[in-house]
Amino acid sequence: MVLEVRKPRPLWEILFSTHHTDIGLLYIIFSLTLFFLGGALAISIRTELFLPGAQVFEDANTFNRVFTVHGTTMLFLWVIPFAAGIGNYLIPIMVRYKDMAWPKLNAVAFWMIPVGAALVWLGFADTTWNAYPPYSILRAPGPAAEMWIFGLKILGISSILGAINFVVTILKMKHPDLPMMKLPLFTWSILSTSLIILMSMPTFAAALIMLYTDRLGVSGFFNPAMGGDPLAYQHLFWFTFHPEVYVFVIPAIGMIYEIIPKFSRKPIFSYTSGITAFILLTIVSFASWAHHMFATGMSFTEKTVFMIGTLAAVPASAMHIFNWIATMWGGRIRFKAPIAFVVGGIITFFLAGAGGVVNSAMPLDFLTHDSYWVVGHMHLFLMGIITFAFVGFIYYLFPLITGRMYNERAAMIQFWLMFIGVFLVFVTQHLLGLYGMPRRVVDYVPVEPLIIMNQISTVGAYMLLVGMGIFLFNLIKSAGWGKPANMEDPFGIREKYYDYRRREPHH
Amino acid sequence: MGHGTLEWVYVGVVVAVLIYIGADAWNVETFLDHAPEDAQVVKVTAQQWFWTFEHEDGRRELGELHLVKDIPYRFEVTSLDVIHSFNTPDFAMMIDAVPGRINSIWYVPDQAGEFLIQCREYCGFSHYQMRAKLFVEEPAGGGEQEAQVTNASATNNLIPPLGAAAVAS
Amino acid sequence: MVSYSALVLILVLIAVLTLLGVNSAAFAQETTERYLSARIEIWALFYRLMVVAFVIGAVVMGTMTYVIWRFRESHPKNRGDITPAAGGGAHH
Repeated sequence: MVLEVRKPRPLWEILFSTHHTDIGLLYIIFSLTLFFLGGALAISIRTELFLPGAQVFEDANTFNRVFTVHGTTMLFLWVIPFAAGIGNYLIPIMVRYKDMAWPKLNAVAFWMIPVGAALVWLGFADTTWNAYPPYSILRAPGPAAEMWIFGLKILGISSILGAINFVVTILKMKHPDLPMMKLPLFTWSILSTSLIILMSMPTFAAALIMLYTDRLGVSGFFNPAMGGDPLAYQHLFWFTFHPEVYVFVIPAIGMIYEIIPKFSRKPIFSYTSGITAFILLTIVSFASWAHHMFATGMSFTEKTVFMIGTLAAVPASAMHIFNWIATMWGGRIRFKAPIAFVVGGIITFFLAGAGGVVNSAMPLDFLTHDSYWVVGHMHLFLMGIITFAFVGFIYYLFPLITGRMYNERAAMIQFWLMFIGVFLVFVTQHLLGLYGMPRRVVDYVPVEPLIIMNQISTVGAYMLLVGMGIFLFNLIKSAGWGKPANMEDPFGIREKYYDYRRREPHH
Repeated sequence: MGHGTLEWVYVGVVVAVLIYIGADAWNVETFLDHAPEDAQVVKVTAQQWFWTFEHEDGRRELGELHLVKDIPYRFEVTSLDVIHSFNTPDFAMMIDAVPGRINSIWYVPDQAGEFLIQCREYCGFSHYQMRAKLFVEEPAGGGEQEAQVTNASATNNLIPPLGAAAVAS
Repeated sequence: MVSYSALVLILVLIAVLTLLGVNSAAFAQETTERYLSARIEIWALFYRLMVVAFVIGAVVMGTMTYVIWRFRESHPKNRGDITPAAGGGAHH
C-alpha cells in the first residue's frame, strides 16, 4: 500500500490493519525509528570513549545501561523487525498470494514488538545484551533486569509467531503453478531464517524463564551457590544466538540476491548454488554456538568440535560471495544507490568473514575474546553487510512503498560517508582489541595507541551519524515531496519491478 | 549443481584454506593445552572488583602479582561472585573466572617488567577498573633457567607493549 | 562432475600435506628446548593467518574492484544499446 505522507490515510486505518503491506510498513517504520534511537546511544558511547576519563557519563552504571540497551535495540528491534517487515511486504507478492497465511497472527506478532521494546527501554537494564548469570541473577539491579527478561521474552514469542507465519505462507500458500525452485532467492532466505528461528528460539525462551526464577531465588539453575552452573546459561544462550547471527544475515543475503541481478541486468549466476548455500547455512548454523565460550575453560575436544563447526559455515558464505561477483561479471551495472550499498556490503562481508575465521582459531581466542576485536568484528557484520544491505533495500523498495523516488545524490553521499565511516570505526576497533582493550568499559588505560585509535573510531562514528542524518532527511523529504516514480521501472534499468497494485488493505 | 568448473575450484580452495587454518590452530592449541609438570601453581581469585593471588608456598597477594622470569606457572582461576576473566594482554593469556569452577592456564613469563592484569568479562559497576599489576622479576640465582625459553628475545617486539606503558602511567 | 570433485580432493590433499610439513617443523622445535612461549606461538599463528587473510583479501578485493570498474554501465565497452552478455547465467 502506498504510503502518502501529505494526504495520509487515517492513522487508525493503518494501525488496525491486518494487510501484509500495512504490517510491513509498520515493521519498517518501527524498526527504523529504533535504529535511530539505538544509533543515538552508540554515538554517546563513542563520544564517551573519545578520551579516557569521564566525558558523557557521570558513572559507569549509566554507561553499562546504555550499551546494554544499544545492543538489545540494534539486534532485536532493528535487524529482526526490519527483515520481518521486508518479508511481509514481499513474500506474499513473491509467492503470489493475497496476504500472509494468518493476517491477524501477523498483526499480533508485530504489536508484541512495541510492548517488548517499551519494557527494554523503560527498564534500561545493565546486564549486557547477553545477560550472563550470575551477574544477571545476583547483582543486576531490578526491576530493570526483570523488565529486560520479559521484554526479550515477548520479542522472542513475536519472532516465533512471525516465523510460523512465513513458513506457512511460503510452503502452503504459494501459487500452485509456482514450484519451489522458481521462487526468488529472497523467499528462500526468509524460509531459512524462519526455520532457524523456529528451531533455536525456544531454547532461549526457556533460558529466560530459568533466569527469571533464579532472580526470584526459587531456583538455582545458574546459581553456583545453589548447585547450578552459570555456563549452562551460556550454552542455552548461544545455542539460540549463534544461529540467530544467521537470522540476522540471511535476509540481508536474500536482499542482495534481489538487487544484484536487477542492477547488473543479468540473471543470477547460479540459482541452485544460492539455495544450496542457504540450506547449508541453516544446518551448519547450529554447529558452532560454543565458539563464543572458548575462554570459559572448555576442554580441548569441545573447542576442536566447535572450531570445526564454525569453519564449516564458511564455504556456504563464500559460495554466496562467489555467486554475487559472478553475477556482476559481464553485466552492465547501473550504480544506483541500492547496488552501491550492496557492493559496499559485500566488501565488508568479506572483511567480517575473514575476521571471523581468524576468531575461530582456538588459540587466537586468547587475543581476541571479549576485547574490542570482537566488537569490531560483529559490528562489521551488523553495520557492514546487514545494515548496508538493509539501507540499499530501503532505497530499492522506496518507490514501491511511497510511489516516489528518493534523492539519488543524497543517497550516494550517505553511502560514501557510511562506507568510509564503517571502516574507520570498526577496522580500528579490531586493532584496539589486539592492543588488549576489553569491551564494555567506560574508561581505558590512557596510553597513546589506545587514545589515538579510539579517537579515529569516534570520528568514524560521527561520519556514520552524518550519513544517518542525511538518510533520515532523505526518507522523510522524499516520501512527502519526492518526484513521483515510474512504477513500472523506477530505476530505468528495464527490469521487472514488484507488483505495486496491491491497494486493497481491507478484508 | 553443475555450474561450471570455476565454482568447484573456488569451493575447493576455500575448503583447503579452512583445513589449513583449522589444523594449524589445532596444532598450536595442543601445545598450549598441556602445562609443564613442574609448573608452579598460583591460585587466582576474582571478586567484584579486585584480584587476589595465592602462591604455592602460601604467600598471598592482593592487587599485585610477583612472578619470577622463565619459570612456568599454572594459574588456577576461580571467582567468588560473578564471572570475571583473568587477562594479561602482554602475555596473550586469558581465561574466564567462573564461580564454582577452577579453570587453569599456564605460561612462562619470558619478559621482566611491570605488566597489566585486567578483567575482560563484564562484571558490573567497576569492571573497567578491575585491574592488577603483574611484576615479573629476574631470577635471583640467574643463569641456569635463562636458556630454557626459546627465541624469546628474537621475537620480543611482536607484541604491542601496552601493559608496560599502562602500569608506568 | 566427477573431475571437479577429484579436483577438490586433490586440493584438500595438498593442504593436508603442507600442513604435515608445518606440524613436523613445530614439533622439531620442541625437542631442542624445554618451554615454548605461548605468547610467541599465539602471535605467530596470528600473523600466519593474517598472511592468509590478506592474500585472499587482495584477490577478492582486486576482483571486486575490477568488476566494478569494468562492468559499470558507463565503461566505454558497455556503451550503446548492447544486450547483456550471453552465457554464464542460469535462466530459470
